[in-house]
Amino acid sequence: MNDTVVIDTPSTAVGLPTLRIDRVTKSFQTAKGKITAVDDVSLDIRQGEFISIIGPSGCGKSTLMNMVGGLIADFDGQILLDGKAVRGCQPSIGMVFQEESTFPWRTAIENVAFPLEAAGMARDKRVARARDLLDLVGLTGFENHYPAELSGGMRQRIAIARTLAFEPRVLLMDEPFAALDEQTRLLLGDKVVQIQQQLRQTTMLITHNISEAVQLSDRVLIMTFRPGRIKRVVDIDLPRPRSSEMMGSEKFAKYVAEVWNDLREEASKGLRESEAAAGAR
Amino acid sequence: MVAVGQMNDAPRRRRLRISNSVTTYRVVALVLLFALWEIAGASGLFFRGVIPSTVLIAQAFVRLFGDPAFYTHFGITLFEIVVGFVIGSSLGVVVGLALGINRYTGEVFEPMLNYLASTPKVVFLPILLILFGIGVGSKISLGAISCFFPMALSVAAGVRTINPMFLRVGQSLNLSFGHRIRNIYIPALLPPIATGLRLGFGIATVGCLMSEIKLSNHGLGYAAMQAYNRFDIPTMLALLLIIFTLAGLGNYLIGRFVRLPGPTNRRTTVLPPR
Repeated sequence: MNDTVVIDTPSTAVGLPTLRIDRVTKSFQTAKGKITAVDDVSLDIRQGEFISIIGPSGCGKSTLMNMVGGLIADFDGQILLDGKAVRGCQPSIGMVFQEESTFPWRTAIENVAFPLEAAGMARDKRVARARDLLDLVGLTGFENHYPAELSGGMRQRIAIARTLAFEPRVLLMDEPFAALDEQTRLLLGDKVVQIQQQLRQTTMLITHNISEAVQLSDRVLIMTFRPGRIKRVVDIDLPRPRSSEMMGSEKFAKYVAEVWNDLREEASKGLRESEAAAGAR
Repeated sequence: MVAVGQMNDAPRRRRLRISNSVTTYRVVALVLLFALWEIAGASGLFFRGVIPSTVLIAQAFVRLFGDPAFYTHFGITLFEIVVGFVIGSSLGVVVGLALGINRYTGEVFEPMLNYLASTPKVVFLPILLILFGIGVGSKISLGAISCFFPMALSVAAGVRTINPMFLRVGQSLNLSFGHRIRNIYIPALLPPIATGLRLGFGIATVGCLMSEIKLSNHGLGYAAMQAYNRFDIPTMLALLLIIFTLAGLGNYLIGRFVRLPGPTNRRTTVLPPR
């Protein structure tokens, strides 16, 4: 690992493919038979790009993320990071989870410094870097607070800072704001936009919130309901820097409508299926 | 923060008032107990000497504290309890982790452990006497066996309640097994470990004392049995009170010093001090 502080990461080379997902398929064996969660998904993510994957519940978007993140190592196809195959977890792909994942026994700064501590970085060095990261996510002054003393939005920002500590090439976020209220979610979205802008961090976000996807992304990928395929890619051509204020604009509304148009069909398929399953029970 | 402090003021004052009245009742109860003891002793309803006056017990205390042999017994017993407690608790944490982390070993061995845990450990004493002799070895081992079970079961159950997200974070950071144990499992398991320690200390004390009373040539339990055989009831009672105090003090100290990291009031839940 190099010694540059994460904030100084140069914002060069936007446009080169960093992460390539090549014909990836994953099926699970269940009691009711084989379920194909992800079916032949191919995708290139460019350096510095922010993409969102949106789809109905059960479309395999979390499965896709777990494969990229390495939590699922057994799948067909290939995932390449800078040309090298990815199977299993590795520090260059950082994950932020939907659920609470900050360590309650560590203060904010100790949480953020944890990956660096595990990697054996010297104490003052990792504390300095953790301080910078807390500053980046807007938590200066809360270094010595325990997660239980902070709000859900603040805890999720700690989790994001902790993941960024390792300077991952790709940041994966699995519905990181799902457990938060709408207002916090919007403000946190602004924060993420700002961080992404500052770091030029290649990011892949899993979400089921349309306006969140439009607000944050360069591209939105819509997935089909089971088996999960990429139905359509929507390029979001909104000016940057963006913020939640943009949500009132006509162009924003047009994109939301466009995404929903494609998503609705899939979402209703998912709904019908789950209602049928409930009826059968 | 100031506003929060003010908001909490009323309940705190109420708590203070309650704790004041609790202290009063405790003192009253103790005084009553003393009075009842004296009345029962003086009433002549019991066989003479079975309920000696508190004055006689106090004299026995003075005699004991002036007797160098008492300190030897005390030291040996304390040594046995502490060593047995440390060995048993450490093994308990290791075995508990093994049972909790690996579902297979858990399913194979945990039912066995559960059955063994509910049997009185004194049944192991004959075996331990054969293995370790009547010296400190058999006492330490019985103490260790006694506190091993609550710790192992408490930790094994605790592993299953760890937030799976913590483990996923460890996995996604590609942490080594040792790192996961040290930085995720152990800190996440501190509450059940603290519970295991607090339960275990009392049980280790029981184990050591039990084997001292059964077959031994030293220790507080042995001294108490000797006093009994001499029908020196005041000395026996004084020794028993010392044993109670020792066990209670150990429990109190563990509760006091085994603090959990995190914001205040993340303390151990079993038998809170004060």
